[in-house]
Amino acid sequence: MARLSIEGLCKGWDFPVLDELDLQVEEGEFFIVVGPSGAGKTTLLRLVAGLETADAGRILLNGEDVTTVPPYQRGIAMTFESYALYPNMTVFKNIASPLVARKLDRHTIEQKVTAVAKLLQIDHLLDRKPGEISGGQKQRTALGRTLVADPKAYLLDEPISHLDAKIRHELREQFQTLEALHTVGTLYVTHDYSEALALGDRIGVMGGGKLVQTGTPRELFDFPSHAFVAQQLGQPGINLLMTSLTEDGGKTYLRSRDGNLKLILDEEQRQRLNGRSNAEVLLGIRPQHIRILAPRQKAPAKHQMVDARIEQFQPLGSMGIAITRAHGIDLKALTPPEAAHIGAQEVRLAIFSPAFHLFDPISGKRI
Amino acid sequence: MSETNYKLVRGLLLAFLGLWVLLTLAPFYWQIITAFKSAAETNLTVPTFWPREFFPENFVAIFAEPANFSALVDSFIIATGNTVLSVFLGTLAGYAFARFPAQAGGENLAFWILSNRMFPPVAILLPMFFLFDSMPWGTDSYMSLIILYLVFNMPLATWLMMVFFRDAPRELEEAAYLDGYTPFKAFFKITLPLVLPGMISVSILCWIFAWNEYLFANLFVGTAVKTFTIVIPTFTQGSQTLWNLQMAFSLIAMIPPVTLFILLRRYMVRGLSLGVVKG
Repeated sequence: MARLSIEGLCKGWDFPVLDELDLQVEEGEFFIVVGPSGAGKTTLLRLVAGLETADAGRILLNGEDVTTVPPYQRGIAMTFESYALYPNMTVFKNIASPLVARKLDRHTIEQKVTAVAKLLQIDHLLDRKPGEISGGQKQRTALGRTLVADPKAYLLDEPISHLDAKIRHELREQFQTLEALHTVGTLYVTHDYSEALALGDRIGVMGGGKLVQTGTPRELFDFPSHAFVAQQLGQPGINLLMTSLTEDGGKTYLRSRDGNLKLILDEEQRQRLNGRSNAEVLLGIRPQHIRILAPRQKAPAKHQMVDARIEQFQPLGSMGIAITRAHGIDLKALTPPEAAHIGAQEVRLAIFSPAFHLFDPISGKRI
Repeated sequence: MSETNYKLVRGLLLAFLGLWVLLTLAPFYWQIITAFKSAAETNLTVPTFWPREFFPENFVAIFAEPANFSALVDSFIIATGNTVLSVFLGTLAGYAFARFPAQAGGENLAFWILSNRMFPPVAILLPMFFLFDSMPWGTDSYMSLIILYLVFNMPLATWLMMVFFRDAPRELEEAAYLDGYTPFKAFFKITLPLVLPGMISVSILCWIFAWNEYLFANLFVGTAVKTFTIVIPTFTQGSQTLWNLQMAFSLIAMIPPVTLFILLRRYMVRGLSLGVVKG
């Protein structure tokens, strides 16, 4: 039995936000919903928490229908994007709040709050007020308030999106090591794909009011079911080009609609495209599958060579992004940071053809 | 701007402000010195700007008359009773308008309540008198003025409290729900403490209005109940005005609101800046 199960959830105001959304969070699972801003991620969390009422559909917690149960009886804990710390209370009282609501005795409350604060390394801040601590510490306090509640499920709304990079990485590690989050069931919402890939046991990509695809990070990254999913995951974003299928001299090509880029398909890909009435194909190539060859370097196996010119190069420390132009088509390529051949404007690209992603240009679905 | 110009502008500004302060304080000064003059000295053809002889007996005379003291007590009862009621009702209504605008009648109802303060009060003076006369609490009673002043104070309290509640983030209440508090408890535990400074400033405004009100008190009460505002004019009698007693009594009546203001000025500033300063 799933810990948290959402069936056909609908919610809308003047326009639909959630449209028959289905979702299952298994016992002990860390499930991440990723999607662009405005996709309805926060609405989903608010519905699960009971802060909004569903237009249709059911929310089951441990098999029990809680769709109409008010938030204070659901036994769900949530962190808000804005942290929502009580400004007039100390860090201690903020964390203790769910325990005070349950009227636990003072000794137990003190014990539990101190333990959680130690775990989150904020035990030296317990007497301060939220206005006197940093953003990262506020997030830890908000997290402490949810952890101490010992809920049936955790909901985390963009918990680390507004923090600076260093603290974001610290907290990301913390999410991986916090046992509580991995024992009941956690629904975590973010717009940052790298958080999703790094933290999620499973990921759901949200778009158009529902989850377009759910699966493990590897599944989603390597086999996106939809061009939208491929676009959401990966930085720099996937190269998407409109192509049409052509035959020439017994070989099957994809020829770009603009420009004149021709890429050969292998046998397996050719078979996948067999029997399609439409000759148009949306081709996706991840930047890490495009390499820039040094002069006179031979193409590695299973790579296709394409002449190109480097238009722009962004060194990013541990890697570089080259924006190249090949036969009138812009292609982003992931390179080593110190790509020495960058000085030479005219280069050859090696494209790893087995990793081509083929999508239907109209439905966006994977072929 | 050159150094000389800067000094000139600054000097002019200070001169203007000085004049302003002088104009504001002059009546107050006159009130104080008159309160310490003898009756004879107040009636000189050429007024004196400093009492020739200090005459504190004026204050003794005020309290020698028990009706004067009981007028202050009556004013206090009415002002406090009305303030409690206004702030209580205004807080509930303001919360509803801020959090559930659709269910509470929306912007229009909220604005209608505020618009109650826009007509000239004298326009409803007589209708209200007859209306109140037929009510169980009648006129010439504490209840009559306590309820009547709601007409002026409750819109103010409702509107200001609505603004304060709008400033208090809704997410804090929602976080409290998830902590396990019912909406009722969340309101008292989380939201009310956040708007407390605003509530205090609203209370001061209501209290001072009810304390100072003259027009309605003059018509509604006067026998069983007397506020000090209708006692002060009685020092003006047929042939003469007892300026010294009048000023002494008004000076005494000024003490409670001024003290209140000085003690709670921190909240007043916040209340008057209406959500510009966030808690």
